Parts: sequence; C-alpha cells; structure tokens
Amino acid sequence: MALALALHPVKDMVVGVETALDGTTLQVGLEELRRHVLEDRRLESVDLEVVNPGDSCRVGYVFDIIEPRAKEPGTGSDFPGIFGPIANAGQGTTHVLKGAAVTVVDGGQPGGEHGHVTRRGGMTKILEMSGPASEASPYSTMCHLVMVPHAYSNVERHSVLNALRLASVKAAVYLGKAGVGQPPASTDVLDLEGPHINGRQGLPRVAYIGQVHGHQHGTDSDEHIVYGANTRGMLPVPLHPNEWLDGAVVISYSWGARGLETFYHQNHPIILELYRMHRAGDLTFTGCIATVASDLQQELSRNSMLAANLAKWGLGADGAIVTKYAGGAPHTEMFETARWCEQLGVKTAILVSDTAPDRRAESAALMQIPGVDAIVNLSEGADVAWPAQPVSRVIAGNGDVAATLASAEILRSGDVCGVVNNQGASSLQSIVY
Amino acid sequence: MRVVHYINQFFGGIGGEERADSPLEVRPGPVGPGRLLDQLLGEESHVVSTIVCGDNLAAENLDDVAVAAISEVKASGADLFVAGPCFQAGRYGTAAGAVCAAVKEKLGIPAITAMSVENPGADLYRASVYIIDSGDDVSRMQPTLAAMVRLGKKLSAGEKVGRPSEEGYLPQGALKSEFVEKSAASRLADMLLAKMRGESFEAEVPIQATEPVPVPPAVTDLSQATVALVTDGGLVPKGNPHQFPLAFSRVWGAYSFAGEEALAPDDYEVSHGGYDNRHVEQDPHRLVPVDTLRELEKHGAIGKLHEEFLSTTGNGNPLANSRRIGREMAKRLKDSGVDTVVLTST
Repeated sequence: MALALALHPVKDMVVGVETALDGTTLQVGLEELRRHVLEDRRLESVDLEVVNPGDSCRVGYVFDIIEPRAKEPGTGSDFPGIFGPIANAGQGTTHVLKGAAVTVVDGGQPGGEHGHVTRRGGMTKILEMSGPASEASPYSTMCHLVMVPHAYSNVERHSVLNALRLASVKAAVYLGKAGVGQPPASTDVLDLEGPHINGRQGLPRVAYIGQVHGHQHGTDSDEHIVYGANTRGMLPVPLHPNEWLDGAVVISYSWGARGLETFYHQNHPIILELYRMHRAGDLTFTGCIATVASDLQQELSRNSMLAANLAKWGLGADGAIVTKYAGGAPHTEMFETARWCEQLGVKTAILVSDTAPDRRAESAALMQIPGVDAIVNLSEGADVAWPAQPVSRVIAGNGDVAATLASAEILRSGDVCGVVNNQGASSLQSIVY
Repeated sequence: MRVVHYINQFFGGIGGEERADSPLEVRPGPVGPGRLLDQLLGEESHVVSTIVCGDNLAAENLDDVAVAAISEVKASGADLFVAGPCFQAGRYGTAAGAVCAAVKEKLGIPAITAMSVENPGADLYRASVYIIDSGDDVSRMQPTLAAMVRLGKKLSAGEKVGRPSEEGYLPQGALKSEFVEKSAASRLADMLLAKMRGESFEAEVPIQATEPVPVPPAVTDLSQATVALVTDGGLVPKGNPHQFPLAFSRVWGAYSFAGEEALAPDDYEVSHGGYDNRHVEQDPHRLVPVDTLRELEKHGAIGKLHEEFLSTTGNGNPLANSRRIGREMAKRLKDSGVDTVVLTST
C-alpha cells in the first residue's frame, strides 16, 4: 500500500479574507472557517486566533492538536468514519501543511489547580509558545490556528466533546485544502507491502502494537477513535502503518492531550522510525496492531493475548514495540501484552513513563514481569519544571482557565503539550543515577 | 589534593583472616594498594596517610572506626577520603561504606569506595556514598582505582557527575529527568533490535525482583472473626476530611459507619484520578461492600463487621509511601481487634 504525502511547508500564518497558501505563508479566512464550524448546531460560537512561533502566548486547556491535511480529490476520504465516509485510509495522495497545526481548546473545563483532571475531556494541558518551557516542545515551532468552540449550555458533555472532535477535523481538512492544486515542495511516498513481503530474508521482523484508547475513564457512545468507532468491545485490530498515519486514528477524549495528540498519530514517531529502519535495511516492518486498554480484567487478558497472537501469527513478527495509552490500567495491559508476546517468542520493547514523585528508582517500576526487560522510560517526573513567564496573550476555554493560565508561576513537564509524549516523540528520559 | 585512604589488615600487609582482629592504626603515606592510588592521583595529589584496620574489629566497632577516621581526616587536612577497593569482602565493604558515609556527613568532603555489587556493604551504602563497581576479581585493582580517582577528582572539583554506567559507580537510585538526543521512539527501536540480535542492552527502569508477599495463614472460623473493609479506591465522606489528593496520596483515613446498615451515596464521594468514579459515587458499596457484609453478619457467616472502613488513594504512589500507609493501617486494625480484612482495589 502506497501513500504519497505532498508536503507544503508553512512558516507563517496570517489572517485574511480567503484561505490560501502563498509560498510558505498560510492565509486563513477566519469568517469562512467560522461559518463552516458553526454549521454544527450544537455550537453557539467559536473563537479563532492565529498564533505563530515566538508569540508571547499561552493556550489552554488543549483538547487536541492536529496537522492540517486534505486528501487529493478522488484519492480517498478525509478522516474516514470520523469526518469523511468510510474508505481505506493510507493510499492515494494527502496534502500536508508541514509546520502548521490546528489546536483545539476545550471551553468546558474548569480552571482549578494547575495540571489536574476533569473526568471526561482530558488533563489540563497547555500550548506554550514562548519562554523556557516552549523550548522543550516541538509545538512551539509551529504556526497554530487556535480554535475555541463554545457549545450551547444545554448540550450534554459527551455531545460537546463530540462537537469539539468534529470541529477539530473539519478545521484541519479546511486548512489542508489550501495545499490542493499547489505544487508540493516535496513528496514523501510511504510504501510498504505488508507481512508477506519477499526478498528480505534474515532481517528481524518487527511489528508495532499501540493502545489507541483506555477505557478506565469511560468511553462515550458517540466518541470517535478508530475509523469513527468508539472502540468499546473492540478486539485488537491490524492496521497498515499508512492507515494509522492517514487519518484512521484520532485520540480519544479522556486524558486525551495528556501525552497523546492526533498530530503524533499523523506523524507517529514509532511508525515513522520503523519505516525509516525498514528502508535502511535494518529490519522488516510487518505492520501495526491497534488495541485498547480495558477496565475489565477478562477483557484485559483477552485483548493482550489476541494482540500478541496477531503479531505472531497475523504479522509474522519476531519482535514488537508495545506502547500504552496514558495511565495505570493501560500500563498493566501493555505489560500483559508484552508477556504474551514473549511467551510466543516475539521479543518486545515497551515504553513507560514514570511519575515517581519521590524521584527514587524503586518507585519507577510499577510492574515487573520476567522477560519484559527492554523498557524505555520517558519521564513524567516533577523534577522538570520551568518558571512560567508572563505572557501578553492568553487564549483560554473560559474565564476561570484564563485566570489560572495568566497567573501560573511554574510549568511542569506534564503540563506542556509535546514535552511528555506516549507515542514516542519525547526526548525526555528518566535516568537512574 | 590530599587523600586519606582506608584499607583492611589484608591489604595493609598485616595478615589474613587470622589477623582480622588487628587494631586500627594510622600510617603516614600510602600503603599496599595505596601506592597505586597515589600514582594514579598524579603529581598534584597524594595519599597523605593510611588507616589500616582489621575486618572483625571494624565490623564490631563501626562507630569507633568512623570517629577515628574523621579525626585523622581532620588532622591531615584531607579533601578526599578513599576506602578500599573491597571486592567481595563483606566486613571490609561494610566498614568502608560506613566510614565513607560518616566522613562525608560530618566533614562534607567527598568520600568514595569500591566493591562488587554482591558485597553486603553495597546495598547498605550505595544510596549515600559513591561506590565504584569493582566486580569480584582482585586483578581489577588498577581499573577500579583509576575509576575512583576519576570520580574523586570530579567530586572535589564540584563537577557534574555522569551516569552510573559512564562513571562506573553502582546506581544510587535517584531518578533525574533529562532531555537526551534520541527520542523515545528511536530508543525503543534500538533496544528492541539489540534484544532480537542477542546483544546487551540496558533497560531504563531498574529491573529488580520485587519481594514476594507471603500468603498469611487462613482464618479458620469466619463466624467468630471480626472483619474490616479496606480500600485504595479513594472513598471518603463528603467534603474529603483528610484531603486525599487524586494521586500520590500520603494520607489515609478511617471512617466510622457505626450503627449504619449501609453507606448512603449522598454521604460519600471519591478522590481518585485513576478510574471512572461515577459508578462508585452512585453506589459506594461497589467499592466498600458494607451492605453485603452486614448481611453476612446477620446470618452469622462472619462474627462481626468492624464499624469503620479504612481508605486511601492508591494511584501512582511511591513504594516507600505505600509501605508506610500499609503498616499504619495494619497497626490500627490490629489495635482494634480486627481478625481479617477484605481489600478492594480499582
């Protein structure tokens, strides 16, 4: 399966009457976009702002960050099952506005203590565009269209979240269309035959098993995660790496922006690294398996066993990278999946993020399973923090949050989007001294 | 740099096990392995004196040996204290660790020792002093001393100490978050390939065997037993009187329901950020089944339901903290005459 990514670099975003890409400047017609987003009758209004690298600006709380992309007409569907009709993602041509992002802010979250949870709708995370904390996040180097959709007060919370999701992909596609009809600066063709590829004898065969959601905080019936499915009762499912990268998967609502963003599904660091090593002849990338972390013991056991079986017998892998969704139940299921893999002779490497508040090594390992011994530790430790510099512009979901963000004194690694990332993008490591 | 060196009677040339009771003595300049140490220190630095002490005597008088070492370091104006290398010698390693820890604490100068990871002194002192991993082979004297000198000079100069694998010391167990060159994705792929090829790789989380929890003896007659309910699911009376946080709780509570047949949903809430609390807030018995236990009490299946439940928030807690909370809870239950508990988690 081959996917052509037509890359259009964006270095500057400006407000205009019409939406158009002029060289590397993306002009956004805010009023046209506003009308488009407000077609959703659950939404009363939407705030739209443009933020560029270096702007003295803090944004929160972030629902999701998405790369603007649009399919070349006739070659596929945009975010199939979520926005466009069901079609096989991962083939044809996709226009990518490289360097641009749509950042969606949740208007429904309370202000409250910095970095704390609301039950549905995610951790409180921010986009920081200037100052020392911004230097640790790749998002600070991008041009953002920041969108704050406000739903009518009588809309139920799950429906508000559903409206945020639809608005986010709508805006990403709307901006992405500015690339259609324009010659791309470069084209990256992602072409992978699949598990039955010939002529690569002797190379290690590696699969990726990634959790795309965790049910421990609940899952809404109208939540979109994989091709629009909410993943309740989902068994592990094989996905071609191109499907994963091309809009088949978006993050779920709960804990969504805590270490996962749709941006890093579209630019999945592990999938892209395995692609790179496949091309370099270091290994054979046999494919991906999307799975979910359960909140029920039997489902946890079933899913982890079936994911391992798929890696072994479906993808013919001898090795697998296994990653989790954020949180403790996903942590357990990741270890279980790795344990089943190792039993079948599929060697594993897993990604944990230690939160040990006492910063002691003995508190870092929540689980120990013999054989599951290749562990990469991305830190969520409280020992990485920056003084929060005053900013001249705060874009927030509501007045409470605006006050919290404006008066913030400290920003921790876990507060800032792009610093701690469970999809493998982070270069923050917890090191034992 | 002026260095005081601590060695045992064997390396001091006094004798083997038969002389393990030799008293502590201070000799000027380097002795035994101290000569190589002195050489490795270079032109500017010297071993100014050597403390030699028998292993048995040291093991039985750790405090006295530490006091003597401190006074010698003070008197000689040393700015680095070195003990060993001790390799596998257990009493030697323990004494070296203890003396280094005492010198470092009392005088604030760097102190370094070296031993094998299996040496009992390693687990006792690795968290408080730098212990170079000598292995158990005495023929590794030269590289071990060289690593001690390298690290000692860094410590004296106040330079940043590198990772355990770079400097050669046993990990002290402190976690530090750092930005590194390679992303987690790239480290995962590298580690997996190394594992698949049978090459060595280093997990980024210490792989340690967790202590097994022994199964306690069974309660033989439940109809005579007092049963208590304990949970780490964060159930608290409305208002959260002990202010349980959503994670990393240092506190726990004991909440009475004396005389009540059941827990009323309106009287309770949940403080726990690790699961969907709605089901428990609708009906607290889903977490703390007072209703069922009351029934069993009525039918005589259990002797008595203890009329308070113990609760904490079990979410991301450091092990040391969880152990303390567990000990404190167990003590309260014991003191209240509880025979057995039902532990519920989420």
